Amino acid sequence: MKKLFLLSIVALFSSFLVSAQTDIFSKPAKEQLVVDQAGVFTEQEITQLKEKLHQFSKETSTQVLIYTTPDLQGYDVGDFAQRLGQSWGIGSKEFDNGIVIVFKPKNSEPGRITIQTGYGIEPLIPDAVANQIIDNEMIPEFKNGNVFNGFNKAIDVCISLTKGEFTAANYESKIKKSENIGGAVFILIIFLITVFSLIGKSRTGRHYNAGTKSNLPLWAALFMLGSGSHRGSGFGDFSSGSGSFGGFGGGSFGGGGASGSW
Amino acid sequence: MTQQQKKWIIIGVIVLVVIFLISGVKNSYNKMATMDEQITGNWSQVENVYQRRADLIPNLVNTVKGYAAHENQTFTEIVEARAKATSVNITPDKLDAQSLQEFQSAQEGLSSALGRLMVVVENYPDLKANQNFRDLQAQLEGTENRITVERRNFNESVQAYNAFIRMFPKNIYAMIFGFEKRDYFKSLEGSEKAPEVKF
Repeated sequence: MKKLFLLSIVALFSSFLVSAQTDIFSKPAKEQLVVDQAGVFTEQEITQLKEKLHQFSKETSTQVLIYTTPDLQGYDVGDFAQRLGQSWGIGSKEFDNGIVIVFKPKNSEPGRITIQTGYGIEPLIPDAVANQIIDNEMIPEFKNGNVFNGFNKAIDVCISLTKGEFTAANYESKIKKSENIGGAVFILIIFLITVFSLIGKSRTGRHYNAGTKSNLPLWAALFMLGSGSHRGSGFGDFSSGSGSFGGFGGGSFGGGGASGSW
Repeated sequence: MTQQQKKWIIIGVIVLVVIFLISGVKNSYNKMATMDEQITGNWSQVENVYQRRADLIPNLVNTVKGYAAHENQTFTEIVEARAKATSVNITPDKLDAQSLQEFQSAQEGLSSALGRLMVVVENYPDLKANQNFRDLQAQLEGTENRITVERRNFNESVQAYNAFIRMFPKNIYAMIFGFEKRDYFKSLEGSEKAPEVKF
């Protein structure tokens, strides 16, 4: 009898464990691009990162998720990030342009970091480049205890590598085939952005130079001017409404990217 | 109610039931066909990522050769394993357990040859510090992850399909239309998780 009782307790427990394990990858109620489970950022840093990433998502449909966790639940960090990105659907469904960065702080075990790229990001940030971002921008900062700096630099590089490819304009035109609201002005702006993004791409190329701070390319500066009438919120703002984040887009991940430890 | 009216009601009910049945069969058939296609599509992804790994190897071998020229035995092994792995291909309509097994063992041969190369690399610190080599290492790691992901996607689509065609009454339709249970791409012991490619 006692044995049976114990057994049922064990069964109950293990069922809890199983559900807890699958739960970590299920979509959260509040969708946002910075999730600090490990508590490595200050309030202000989180706000700063969120602002940058939510703005970038709005502007280009490219989504970068930052996720820190004290425990990887036995998964390899890259595997963890891939599952997370896939089940949360980071990046847009049309372009699979999501990036997931998972961080596990150093404790008794070595710290782990990974950048996982969605299918659409793979050609823009190849594995070798992701690895260089980790080696050159992130790990040196992490070793000095500046987690925020490492992330901030890495995100800047990711943003400058991807921003020419997916613009709000070609995203909009893909999901809404015909939109007449903006009229001639809207079409003109889209035309200008497309032209300038093409120029910008051929001008800057796609090569990653470690250590160089990216300057705002010409097309982006013009883009700002073009949409200046919107609300002057820095970059162009195509989606109407407040500055809040619109939610994950349903992008897929195939395991591309790189990982590191320190 | 007259005899005539009764007859019409019965006919009406029969017609409704038949329409209902046909639409059920049609939906199930279409779903099965879609899921079947999904499996084929996922299989080609699996082959793509294995091909991607094979494509990295000549470059990797050349880089390592620059530092470890006299490890000829290892190089020969890996080149042979690669040739064998790239020669085994499965046409999508022949995805049975046996051909999957052959594919698996050829790829497994390449994996272990790569493993031996990595052991060799350990002895050459200069090589490990070489940027070109580090890039290749990152690419190889990423590709191993891709292999894990695409295998998982393939197996998940097989599982979904197999579960679907076993349900009543779809199992009957599946039998009529010749949808058979598909085989999993089984992994050898312990290869379910992405192998750590550490140099």
